[in-house]
Amino acid sequence: MIAARLLLVPALAAPCLLRAQVAQPLPVATEEATPIGAIPPMPLPMPASRDQNYWGFRFQYGQRNERGGPEDLFAVAAGVDYQLRGGSIFGLTGGYQGRRNCQTTSSCGHALFGARGRFNLFTGGPTVASIIGDESATSTIGTELGFGYAPRVAPGVNACTIDVGVPFSVAMMQSVRIVTFVTPGLVWDVDCSAEETSSDRSAFLGFGFGLQQLFVRGLDVNFGAQRIFRGTTGLQFGISVSWVRLP
Amino acid sequence: MIRSFNTPRVHSRGERKFAWAVISVAAIMATGGCHHGVSLQELPADQIETTLFFIGDAGEPDPRQVGAPLDSLTVQATVAPERTIVVFLGDNVYPGGIPAEGAAEWADARRRLEAQVKAIPPGARGIFLPGNHDWADETAFGLYSIRLQERMIASLAQGRNVRLIPGNGCPGPVPVDIGRLRLIAIDTQWWLHSYIVRDSSSRCEGSTVGAVTAALRSEVRPTGEGRVVLVAAHHPLMTGGAHGGYCGVTGPYRRFGGASQDILSSANRTMRDSIRSAFSDHPPLAYVAGHDHNLQVLRGGRNVNYILVSGAGSPGKTECAVRMRESYYVTQHRAGFMRIDILKGKGVLLRVFRYPATKHGALAYTRWLELR
Repeated sequence: MIAARLLLVPALAAPCLLRAQVAQPLPVATEEATPIGAIPPMPLPMPASRDQNYWGFRFQYGQRNERGGPEDLFAVAAGVDYQLRGGSIFGLTGGYQGRRNCQTTSSCGHALFGARGRFNLFTGGPTVASIIGDESATSTIGTELGFGYAPRVAPGVNACTIDVGVPFSVAMMQSVRIVTFVTPGLVWDVDCSAEETSSDRSAFLGFGFGLQQLFVRGLDVNFGAQRIFRGTTGLQFGISVSWVRLP
Repeated sequence: MIRSFNTPRVHSRGERKFAWAVISVAAIMATGGCHHGVSLQELPADQIETTLFFIGDAGEPDPRQVGAPLDSLTVQATVAPERTIVVFLGDNVYPGGIPAEGAAEWADARRRLEAQVKAIPPGARGIFLPGNHDWADETAFGLYSIRLQERMIASLAQGRNVRLIPGNGCPGPVPVDIGRLRLIAIDTQWWLHSYIVRDSSSRCEGSTVGAVTAALRSEVRPTGEGRVVLVAAHHPLMTGGAHGGYCGVTGPYRRFGGASQDILSSANRTMRDSIRSAFSDHPPLAYVAGHDHNLQVLRGGRNVNYILVSGAGSPGKTECAVRMRESYYVTQHRAGFMRIDILKGKGVLLRVFRYPATKHGALAYTRWLELR
């Protein structure tokens, strides 16, 4: 039995190893180049009336440091979100990622695009926030599915990712809301280049905090950090400013 | 994916310090910004024209003691009963309204109603609105149960100005004019009930949805300068509670089960759309309801300035509530009621009381209600 398992492992790994041998060396990992790794994580959307659908807009800045050798990365992105019946969100993102102090003459930056659905599965009482006795605390757990695309990450190489996550957030206090969140999940990089590259799966964990309804009812500011558990991708952190248009 | 780490790493301590500075400032702002200044704002008694108390879903008082919300409401209403109106926002008798006399549940149903009628001090006006549980918990006996409740309230009131409106199982609207106040009562369960809603003894002014909507549109039209128009019903136009599709895993999907009591159901939406359309020309100051067992102050939107949910009248039935983008104030798992004071020639002050009280007292929230 043990011998059979030992034989099975290299058999399963063989395709990946073969593909790795012909892979292109890239200045950034695929997961770092698309929105899931380039821009900071955000909490699940603040609930709203079930009577309405809401348009939201956001601006995000993220950077990835401590990458164990290569340059730090930065990314700016803008997005538009559509919140359905005060709950789940469907969003599109476009942006740019660059390398700081890039010393090559090409591939110092690239565009990035993404689409994301965030589905609130449960929105309810304080759960863990009951420890501090906040009568207005709201807990939200959901699931999310994202697609990312970054063309020409390196000459002839595009980056594509699919990610799934199970975000959880707790918002507290009555006026300006303080929200804390974690966003664990898995990301797959998939082949979408003309040249063959490898594919694999990585776990990631995002976390952070934010201020909801800052100054006006639709304005949120969130600070997030994220680590992708793969090689030396370093730690990403950044800020997201979003605004929801209330009717 | 293979990566080439062929360039020297640039350590950016300055950027990191900047990021931490931003986070620290934001945290300080949050702490300051979240201070929720609640202070007991005593108004001079001679400045108050009318005081209204709104308490909903109070139909399950403890059989051994009345309980803090009703006790406290009585104490406050006793100060000046002649200018006080106590409004019970429906679900006055759990679980199935008033049964036929002789049923085993009759005595306990009477006990539940009596506790509320007695909470209205002598000299004060009392208004009971019908809720879905008062319509025999949405069963075929509903129309007859609501009539039994109307008669029982009149009997318990013993000649005082305490009554159930709209009466006789009619949908309303029924206006109550006192000084600057126009309080309009409607029976929203009439819109949602799946069984008989009228019979040969019904003598309602409007008995179709269109007629009721038209009558409501006419009643909310202010008839004088500075008129304060409030609409009271059992079902809310918006809520962050269980009936709003929150506070449970099944919340967003209950509409598929056809639960008309929930915001997301088509029947409920039709009712709310009709009511909102009646408000479109002259938005009332506030729409006050119960149904969800919590306390919420909400931004109403285009058709109504404020939506108040005050359905926390039974301490044993309090539930979760989610703070939404539209929420000004939310408290959950606490019993309580709301108080609105209309000042002479001035503003309208809302106060929310919840129990058990904290070390800061039972007054949890105050807000001047203003027309937008």
